[in-house]
Amino acid sequence: MTAAEIEILAAQWLLRQEEPGWSEADREALDAWLDASAAHQAAYWRLEHGWRRADRIAARGVEPAAAPAAPRRFVSRRIAALAASLVVMAGGAAAWLAYEPGRATYATEIGGHEVIPLPDGTRVELNTDTRLRSEVTPERRTVWLDKGEAYFDVAHDKAHPFTIYAGKRKVTVLGTRFSVRRTGDQLQVTVVEGKVRVDPLAPARPAPPTVLTPGQIAIAKDAATLVTPKTVEDAAAELSWRHGMLVFDQYTVQRAAEEFNRYNRRKIVVTSPEAAQIRIGGTFEVENIDGFVELLQQGYGLKIEKTDDEVKITG
Amino acid sequence: MGAAGAGMPDRDELQVWFCAEVLPLERALTRYIARNWRNTADVADLRQEIYARVIEGAARGIPLQTRAYLFTTARNHLINCAKRGQIISLESVLDLSASHIAIDQLTPDRVVSAREEVGRLADALDRLPPRCREIVVLRKVEGLTQKEVAARLGIAVGTVEQQMVLGMRAIVDFMLGGSGRLKRPAPAPRKEAVP
Repeated sequence: MTAAEIEILAAQWLLRQEEPGWSEADREALDAWLDASAAHQAAYWRLEHGWRRADRIAARGVEPAAAPAAPRRFVSRRIAALAASLVVMAGGAAAWLAYEPGRATYATEIGGHEVIPLPDGTRVELNTDTRLRSEVTPERRTVWLDKGEAYFDVAHDKAHPFTIYAGKRKVTVLGTRFSVRRTGDQLQVTVVEGKVRVDPLAPARPAPPTVLTPGQIAIAKDAATLVTPKTVEDAAAELSWRHGMLVFDQYTVQRAAEEFNRYNRRKIVVTSPEAAQIRIGGTFEVENIDGFVELLQQGYGLKIEKTDDEVKITG
Repeated sequence: MGAAGAGMPDRDELQVWFCAEVLPLERALTRYIARNWRNTADVADLRQEIYARVIEGAARGIPLQTRAYLFTTARNHLINCAKRGQIISLESVLDLSASHIAIDQLTPDRVVSAREEVGRLADALDRLPPRCREIVVLRKVEGLTQKEVAARLGIAVGTVEQQMVLGMRAIVDFMLGGSGRLKRPAPAPRKEAVP
């Protein structure tokens, strides 16, 4: 048996110990296996040592519980959760089991797209240039959208509403599918299924909550919340980024350019005011800037200047 | 390498010694093997074999000078393997001179700060392929059992265990100063050095 094969066996022993149903008989079998050869001991002790050390580091890395809305040091996508939630328990075998709340920070870069399973069964899809923090425990389901856009497929749980804080708004749901996009102070909520409630965090005067139903899109900025009734198909088009596509329906060239710019480091700049107001429609891959401007060139006779980091529409 | 007067250690003592005194030298040992063995694919296996020999020896009495004992064992093992396998020429074995050992002995293992260690663990996790990382995180961070992880992801429990094994080996390797690369099941096994 090679050293690598022995190491795999050692890892399996270590993992099985952490599963429910580990018995005294299993313990004896492990002891017998260890006694059988120094090579077994070497592999097992080494793995156990390193694995436990990971535990301890994670536990030591815990920062004092910050107020939920306070900015957290961004350690890595998931290590914050690991650090915050791993509890080292006496007795070794149970040490990997985490009973503490799962807090985590997730982020994507420009052009990024990531699907995150939350512990309650909710799925979150992060769009380009997005940052989201979560605290999902058996008692509480809360996320903070710091910037960008996310699509939520919220696991149904009547007893525990799912709450999204985004700037000055709070979005509450019981279980549904919708997206939230934050651009600075402006918030856009697009509902595909179920009901979603949007509240200001600190209302200047009492106001009825805004409740959105499928197909509705709410745009909220400052004190105002505008609800646009659309069809479910329109709402779905708003979420085309989930498949890497941009769907434009009567968008101005300016707005289409801004959409492309969210996903790409190479930016489209519209310098001609007339060109910026032309209305267009179509479906594009999020990276396909060249295809987009080529169509503008051919279809509308617009002038294009390309450099390494910019595509200018000059007239 | 004198044996301690305490006589034969039991398994627990042996384990404490191995973890406290041998494993902290892993980084230096790995460098030593890599420098003196042509095929880098063998390094992890050779290291494991050296550990086994070191444990066998220490079972007769814990050595007083762990570092010297470890590197002498390593050197002898490499020479034996080279002779047996005739894989490399003996000239390169002659490089296994005491001077190398002396250098390694003088290089203190850097004391790593707690912050660096957290960063290192984060790096170790980030180096895992997405699927493997997801499974490790669900198991370790969310505290799901392997069965629950399998149900959540719609995959077989065996697959979860397989990925956990890969993840564990890579993380431990990285924690002990290695590259943290995944070790897939070994290809053609090298000639056995440990009976």
